[in-house]
Amino acid sequence: MNNIYINKNDIPSEFQPEFLANDFEFIGMDALSKFDEVGKSQAFWQDVLSRFIKNKGAVVGLICIILIISMAIIGPALNSYRADQQITGHESMAPRIPGIENIGVFNGRETLRTSTGGKEINKYADVPDGENLYYWFGSDVLGRDIFTRVWTGTRVSLYIALVAVVVDMLFGMGYGLISGYFGGKVDMIMQRFVEILNGIPNLIIVTLLIIALKPGLLSITIALMITGWIGMSRIARAQILKLKEQEFVLAAKTLGARDFYLIFKEILPNIFGQLLIMSMFSIPNAIFTEAFFAFIGIGIPVPGASLGTLISESFKSLTTHPYMILFPVIILGVLMLSFNLLADGLRDAFDPRMKEM
Amino acid sequence: MHKYILRRIGIAALTLLAILFILFALMEFMPGSPFNDEKLSAAQRALLDAKYGLDKPMPTRFINYVINMLRGDFGVSYNISKNTPISDLLKTRLPISLRIGGQAVLLGAVVGLLLGILAAIKHNTILDPLLTVISVLGISIPSYVFALGLSYVLGFQLGWFPMLYRQQQALQSSVLPTISLSMFTMATVARFARTEMLEVLGSDYMQLAETKGVGGFALIFRHALRNALIPIITVLAPLIVGLMTGSLVIEKIFSIPGIGQLLVQAIQSNDYNVIAVLSFLYSLMYIGIMLVVDILYGVIDPRIRLTKEANTVHE
Amino acid sequence: MKNRNKLLALLLVIALCMGAAPALAGGVLNVQFDVEIASMDPQIATDGTSFEAQSAVIEGLYILDAAGSPIPAIAESTSVSEDGLTYTFTLRDTVWSNGAPVTANDFVFAWRRLVDPAVASEYSFIAGIAGIHNADKIAAGEEPLEALGAVAIDDHTLEVVLDIPVPYFINLLTFPSFLPLSEEFYLSCGDRFATSPETINCNGAFIVTEYEPAANTIVLAKNPDYYDAEKVALDGIRYQVIKDSQQAMLSYQAGDLDVVTLAGEQVDLFKDDPEFQNIMAGYLWYVSANEQTAGLENANIRNAMARAFDKQAVADNILKDGSIPADFAVPKLLATGPDGLDYRATAATYLATDKELALEYWNTGLAELGVSSLSYSLVVEDTESAINVAQFLKAQWEDTLPGLTITIEQMPKKNRLDVMREGEFELGLTRWGPDYADPTTYLENWTTGHTNNTMRWSNLEYDEIIASATKGELTLDPVARWEALKAAEAMVMADAAIYPVYQKGDAVMIKSNVSGIEFHSVGTNRVYKNAVKE
Repeated sequence: MNNIYINKNDIPSEFQPEFLANDFEFIGMDALSKFDEVGKSQAFWQDVLSRFIKNKGAVVGLICIILIISMAIIGPALNSYRADQQITGHESMAPRIPGIENIGVFNGRETLRTSTGGKEINKYADVPDGENLYYWFGSDVLGRDIFTRVWTGTRVSLYIALVAVVVDMLFGMGYGLISGYFGGKVDMIMQRFVEILNGIPNLIIVTLLIIALKPGLLSITIALMITGWIGMSRIARAQILKLKEQEFVLAAKTLGARDFYLIFKEILPNIFGQLLIMSMFSIPNAIFTEAFFAFIGIGIPVPGASLGTLISESFKSLTTHPYMILFPVIILGVLMLSFNLLADGLRDAFDPRMKEM
Repeated sequence: MHKYILRRIGIAALTLLAILFILFALMEFMPGSPFNDEKLSAAQRALLDAKYGLDKPMPTRFINYVINMLRGDFGVSYNISKNTPISDLLKTRLPISLRIGGQAVLLGAVVGLLLGILAAIKHNTILDPLLTVISVLGISIPSYVFALGLSYVLGFQLGWFPMLYRQQQALQSSVLPTISLSMFTMATVARFARTEMLEVLGSDYMQLAETKGVGGFALIFRHALRNALIPIITVLAPLIVGLMTGSLVIEKIFSIPGIGQLLVQAIQSNDYNVIAVLSFLYSLMYIGIMLVVDILYGVIDPRIRLTKEANTVHE
Repeated sequence: MKNRNKLLALLLVIALCMGAAPALAGGVLNVQFDVEIASMDPQIATDGTSFEAQSAVIEGLYILDAAGSPIPAIAESTSVSEDGLTYTFTLRDTVWSNGAPVTANDFVFAWRRLVDPAVASEYSFIAGIAGIHNADKIAAGEEPLEALGAVAIDDHTLEVVLDIPVPYFINLLTFPSFLPLSEEFYLSCGDRFATSPETINCNGAFIVTEYEPAANTIVLAKNPDYYDAEKVALDGIRYQVIKDSQQAMLSYQAGDLDVVTLAGEQVDLFKDDPEFQNIMAGYLWYVSANEQTAGLENANIRNAMARAFDKQAVADNILKDGSIPADFAVPKLLATGPDGLDYRATAATYLATDKELALEYWNTGLAELGVSSLSYSLVVEDTESAINVAQFLKAQWEDTLPGLTITIEQMPKKNRLDVMREGEFELGLTRWGPDYADPTTYLENWTTGHTNNTMRWSNLEYDEIIASATKGELTLDPVARWEALKAAEAMVMADAAIYPVYQKGDAVMIKSNVSGIEFHSVGTNRVYKNAVKE
């Protein structure tokens, strides 16, 4: 009780502070965080992994995505048809798969619901050398193999997915971080800009843009770039607003770290994982947007194919040949479902407390 | 508070003006012109351009348009309905779109909420993953596929509902479009509601309420839902606008005389005034909804207002 | 909660009551339109849908009979001067739906409106094609409206003076742009003209009872004051705009529609149905090859490309709607010659599919150009049939002609017209619909410097024939004119200036209890005056 005041001289000399010239120099990220990483990171990743594996939906999603990606890579080469190869006379042939055909489905038969009653037809019997002919997913109204086209089209959808993530991570994140970090006038101007961009209905700006640029993969990419990043920029901004007042940022600032160093080396590593996961959520949206463009006629130009254009093309034959729309819809659905499940699972695995934004 | 609202409204107005300018600029870059029938000669096209003032440079047209608009004159349609004032075109179409959109939001929000709550309550049963899959499917299937499926099965094969929109049977014939349109909202709301409810149900005050003996419906609806609702309102706002744009596909399939269809047609036929007015209308609704949500938020939750005001003051 | 249930029950009852709304009385024909009416103003409208509705409610001097020949309508009798330049029409005693009589002044007013630069009608050129005195000059703003060669001698006598004797003048008068309009009525409507049933004045077989701009439902009722009313069997017509053809077919099968148009694939489902019909339309689809493009100026290359695709497959496998392969530049069933036969019956055919011959032309062409491969872009509008045909053409061309690569550029129709007119294209899939029943409605397009000569093809001899056949001395000798037109067509085809692809057919379903609908390939496509629904 009496020893409240400690005399400096009472402290043994080896414990007395001694100031060196470089004591107040900023030592940088590497030196700072080494200690933290060694012990914890293993456990953290193991944690994440075990949480992820427990989430059956996410695992199924991941497997589906891997399967779809591999099929997109090898699928078009699995048979002898090219995606834009039209065989006159082979129009609108129902799916026929070797092996499975013997159990009564996908055997090339289809029932036309004509106005004069159902009519079962088997076009394979009518074309020359039909017995040895197999269109696994059927052929379209121009006599092209739907199997090849579906997997070629899947490539486009996957490309769109990639674009969505890249745009999110490059534009959205950078924009949000800068806007949120600097605050004040910069933030105000940047946020007003977002507000204006956001105020124009996405569909209109993008449609006008695509028409002005001529429809094509490039214009769709540009269109996604122009509007796709807004959501991510909001999230990034919200995150940095939370973090920028925290002690470790303050500390680094006090030690003289410059703004961009702070943003990208101090703050970003803390939120990058979350942001990456959030950007997974924009994938289904982007794929959907592409499908929507296809439906209003400004998708990938013919004879190219994307899942969206395949669906909107075969939509016109829905009441005649429903099988044409079947496979593109299933694959698009599975793809979107898988990305959603995977994103959900990743988010839960990384940070169970994180909320849907 | 008043200052805050006024400020927001001022910004919204400026934003709208900027949007209109961007629209005019984009339309300037659109190839082709509204008067482009194969039968027209060059002289005639020049005559038509002059008649509608399209020969003037874009900034002039923009200023003229804004002035006319402030006077309540939105211009005439060049193509879709020749020489018809656009306000005439909208008079009957806007209410139809708004009604079907409103019905879809209502249906989507209510059913989505119920599904989300159900999934959250039955968290550990098969029901939860099942509902999750259903809601993800709702997000994953394009609405037009859904629409045609519905119309084929319920409309054609079973004959329960009319397949086409009829003004005389407005309620009945809007059933199928409403369902198709609400799927996305329903699925999204269900997902959010589930997460929010899970969080709220796990919170301390809910456990307190439970130990105090509050049970069943009262617990869920009076205590949990109320707290889960605020974040859900936020997602609902952009969804409403999304519905309006999504409706143009549905309108085409069900032959609904609404504004979505009009917009696509206008874009394809370079009907500038119609594009401008409809885009402007969408922007107006969007910004309006955002504004209302913002202000409502401040009213509902004082903490938000305070931080916002603090932010604006510091700016 | 209980109250809410009651409310729900009430809503349900209301819904059911609405569902049980009485069906329309018999004798009302339900017809599908695939696009809205653009305008009910006869001098403003330019599209087939508007023309069809207008012609049902307004009648001009002449109408087309079932066979497509003009018969007098409001004109009771017509006399022509010996030089073929002055037509005098005596009008029938008829009334507008507002009670006023239809007078010669109504025609004069309408026709002046047609050429008035202030109205800027997109179809003003048709008055010039009809040869009406001063029409072109007034449209260009060089003469006052009063100078138009159409004068009301009295209420029942209309005198029309032409610059040249136009052989198809009477035929042209069936075109909706020449429909009459009462000045008094027009002025009384102010700027609301033709926007509601009250502002549409009718003198035809039907009157408008339900209409608004860009409406999805348009309802017409039988006009009791129509001069020929006793021959009109229908109680009315109800047009329903349905853009999705599958939806249209579903409604047809559900009994909501009596007349619908089928698209491509659906034909498979309905072609065995007794209610299925193929109607020949007037549109010719062809590929315009821009001769300012390197390689396409070579006639051998053009001749190769024009023969290298399977036209029969385009019609049978791609379109399926009754379209026929086009081995000609002037369609079938368009015009009847002085011999009383269809133009095509006596004219030769050209550029039939022949892949071997195409290859020969191709190799010759490539040798002349000194190249081994060519690649072109093909502009096409973004409609289902056009895109499918373009993809088929691309596949066939690349297959038949080694070294040829085609890329397809799709765009909205307005943009396609724009780039083609400006000459900023290489190949373009385009179409032309006839304005009047004479081969010149096609052949004139391909004269040197004409707006629609998008391929920039030029043949002075050809120009001379067409000039003479439209405004020159050939107009005085119908037989020689006919032969000259055939020779002109042969020139276009020999050069493969255009690659004809197909002549459009329409696949329609008409309920078996409906008969008497008349189909035409020129002007008004469907006429319901004599239709019967039992």
